[in-house]
Amino acid sequence: MVWARRFWLRLQTLFRRDRNAKRLDDEIQFHLDQQIAENLAAGMSAQEARYAAMRAFGNPTFLKEETRDTWGWTWLEQVAQDLRYGSRTLGKNPGFTVVAVLAVALGIGVNTGIFSALNGVALKLLPVPRAEQIVSVDQIFHGKFRRNLHGESGLFSYSEYQNYRANNHVFSGLLAYAPFLEATLGGENPKQLTGAEASCNFFDVLRERPALGRTFVEEDCRAPGASPVVVLGYELWRSRFDADPSIVGRGASLNRAKFVVIGVAAPGFRGLDPWPSEFWAPLTMQKALEPDTDLISEDNTGWLALLGRLRPGATLEEVRSDLGVIAARIDQQYPGRTTTLAVHRATFLGRQDERTVVLGVGAVVLAGVGLVLLIACANVANLLLARASSRQKEIAIRLSIGGSRWRIIRQLLTESLLLAFLGGTVGSLVAFWAVEGIARFIVAHLPHGAAQLVWNVSPDLRVWGYSLGLTAFTGIVFGLAPALHATRQDLSTALKGDGGGFIGKAASGGILRNALVGVQVAVCMVLLIAAGLLMRGLYLAQTADPGFEMKGITQAQFNLPSQGYSAEKAQAFERELIASVEALPGVVGVEQAQVTPLSHSFLGTGLTLSGETESRQFEFNVVSPGFFAMLGMPMVRGRTFTAAEGRSDAPVLVITESTARRLWPGQDAIGKTLRDGEKKESQIVGVVKDSQVSHLGHSDGLFFYRPAGPAEQNRLQLLVHSKSGDAATAKGIREAARALDPNLVVDVTKLADNLEVWRTPSRLVAALSGVLGILALLLAAIGVHGVVSYGVSQRIREIGIRMTLGADGRDVMSLAVRQALGPVGIGALVGVIGCAAVSQVLSDVLYGLGAHDPIAFIGVPLFLLAVAFLASYIPARRASRVDPITALRYE
Amino acid sequence: MGKPSDLLILKTVSLEPKHGWAIAKRIQQISAEVLHVQQGSPCPALHRLRTTRLDQGQAERNRDGRQAKFYPLTAAGRAQLEKEAANWSRLSAAINLVVETT
Repeated sequence: MVWARRFWLRLQTLFRRDRNAKRLDDEIQFHLDQQIAENLAAGMSAQEARYAAMRAFGNPTFLKEETRDTWGWTWLEQVAQDLRYGSRTLGKNPGFTVVAVLAVALGIGVNTGIFSALNGVALKLLPVPRAEQIVSVDQIFHGKFRRNLHGESGLFSYSEYQNYRANNHVFSGLLAYAPFLEATLGGENPKQLTGAEASCNFFDVLRERPALGRTFVEEDCRAPGASPVVVLGYELWRSRFDADPSIVGRGASLNRAKFVVIGVAAPGFRGLDPWPSEFWAPLTMQKALEPDTDLISEDNTGWLALLGRLRPGATLEEVRSDLGVIAARIDQQYPGRTTTLAVHRATFLGRQDERTVVLGVGAVVLAGVGLVLLIACANVANLLLARASSRQKEIAIRLSIGGSRWRIIRQLLTESLLLAFLGGTVGSLVAFWAVEGIARFIVAHLPHGAAQLVWNVSPDLRVWGYSLGLTAFTGIVFGLAPALHATRQDLSTALKGDGGGFIGKAASGGILRNALVGVQVAVCMVLLIAAGLLMRGLYLAQTADPGFEMKGITQAQFNLPSQGYSAEKAQAFERELIASVEALPGVVGVEQAQVTPLSHSFLGTGLTLSGETESRQFEFNVVSPGFFAMLGMPMVRGRTFTAAEGRSDAPVLVITESTARRLWPGQDAIGKTLRDGEKKESQIVGVVKDSQVSHLGHSDGLFFYRPAGPAEQNRLQLLVHSKSGDAATAKGIREAARALDPNLVVDVTKLADNLEVWRTPSRLVAALSGVLGILALLLAAIGVHGVVSYGVSQRIREIGIRMTLGADGRDVMSLAVRQALGPVGIGALVGVIGCAAVSQVLSDVLYGLGAHDPIAFIGVPLFLLAVAFLASYIPARRASRVDPITALRYE
Repeated sequence: MGKPSDLLILKTVSLEPKHGWAIAKRIQQISAEVLHVQQGSPCPALHRLRTTRLDQGQAERNRDGRQAKFYPLTAAGRAQLEKEAANWSRLSAAINLVVETT
């Protein structure tokens, strides 16, 4: 209670300061009066009594100050004082204030915007109740062993999931789901959906209540294939079923299996990935949804993502150690395998593989925007330095009449914090507003297929905290050096100083200022070169020739195995589809391939050279004989497959030129053999010219083609070369497919569309880095301009003298420009060297471009130097037009 | 906690609530004019002690009819007085011992 009383009294002294001060005065007056009365009674004269009383009392002002200190609010008073004073000084220099606030706003705004975008992608907790209790579990394998993957490498098999679920002591519930399940919703207009197979406690663990009907119960997962039920996503229910309230209990066909709708998920719930899930079916229905696999019974196939809800009080540490025991027990069944578990608070993109990518990209982007902020800081620090030297006299006076240095530093820092908060507020508000628009723009412009990304960039507490912390940090960073510098001065010189300095005069501040300019230019150079490299990369990617023909070629993609097609049925379907497409007007040729070029599907396998034991990793494709001719990929040696080889599953291969060169340098590859995992030998019959069929920008990986045999007909896609226009061809193909199977979803696109998917990342990165580079350039130009202007104004008298002594405008100008370009040159050099060191990081997104591209590394510095020259030229020209007489009188 | 003057003030006030001037006067009188306290000095100390050790000054009429502040002791103030008085006894006894045994 004592503290409460003390606090109350303290508050009273804060809010009733005037009353308190009055009371103190009264008390002192009373005190004096008493003493005077006593003195009078002792026989002193009135005046004497008064003086004696005052003498006995001591210094009342001093006592008053001491008493006020005991009230304990002096610091607050001083802060308020500093704020008042700071805002007055900022208000008196509107030009300075606007420039500084804008610079800070730019820096903070860019950072806040990027951070809230990242936050929206990968830092926010899942949108479910009490999301802080949900953790994701991933496996990281070590050692040499075999494992089948159905998705990312960290996923679990069904038996592993059941093991963890039954034996853990840390979760109140552990759910599993298989993300990115594609299924065709049958009906009048078959539609391709993305959904998930989920364990039957899925909704219970997440505490998600359905909008309609019910969610899964354990009974639904009793036995494989026993309970064909499905929960629909809210948006699917509205768009596809017209929000029909009687949907529960009705049938729905998914991949041609009959399901019963048991419920509709809540409106805001779209699954646990940024790609929304449109339906959920029990895990045990896996085989019904994907007839070509039976994952439930495969103990060594990873396909399930695991999320658990923590028991109250359980920590992540406990989870790791508890699950680690289970992992070690499972490892015993697989000799050579060691598993470590990655346990994190669950977020979007939280699985290990995704996390690595997001953190990598995030780190690079944050580093980029951090550099922009650094330039902004250097810029404002420079402005403050320049201003501090014009306030030299004021500060000297305050120091000499007893202001402590710490007190003045505090006051200057208050001023810079004030600036930072003004800028931070403006920047953050603009960023919050802009980033939602930008996110919408990006989502809308993502390539075909990824359109409806869930990306919630609205600022939360974390973003506010980040921007607040960053702002305070910024204020101190740019304020501290100028404040320290301003208060470390020789008082007598400062007081005498006339501000009309010569070169030697402001030397110490000059070094700091020049260093700051150098830093700005160096950092700007790094950003600009990076931006330059990325834009060059984009240009090359846009104009790159992938080495094969795309014009007039249409791809038709469909998934026959998921629709229950047997190999024989698929064979018939493909044959008839090819026949009817070939009959379309304008069609020149129809070919088959398991993956179409640059479609982001990759097939890989290990093959062994004769005479070797270790296998080498190859990429491959399964194609029909005319594939190479249609895509304009000439055979360098040998021949393509014959039709007979295609029909008979013959063991023949075509390899690429660089594969031949790498495996058998200086020899003829024709007739050589490669052995697959089942010891089957295949003979090489042809060598085809290199082209970027798999990865845009790369054509030198080990790659082979196999003929499409009868057993593989159900996996083949069609490539159609037509002269009658894309739209007409696409329509013809769709109609031909519908005539054969009205329930099959066929995705018909131009082959050239595949390029877009490859170019989008580099386009986004190039756009972002271009914007950052321009911001950095703008800030650096303002910085250089400011420093030169300041230098000119400081040396106006020297300029006057020089001109009276016969220097002409040119001399003065070159003097000013030369002095400014010194630090710029050094900064530029440091920047180029620095960028050469870090640009290796970027080489991944630079298609066909070395990390040290000469155009970027020579062009950008020249451009930056030109801008710096211009920025210093403008104030220098002003100097050259100075009237010597005015200059000499200038004060 | 507490400066030496706190002990004197608390002790003086413990007999009866007093105002600032009376406190200074009293200390001077009792110490037989040895401790010549500057009369203003209880002022800051009173304001500091006020937060915990003394009741918020009560305005009462003085004998001559003027308003003045009287500061009665709180329970915490009494406890501190006892503690500090005991401390002081020990300290002064110790100093006495050292000074007189030579």
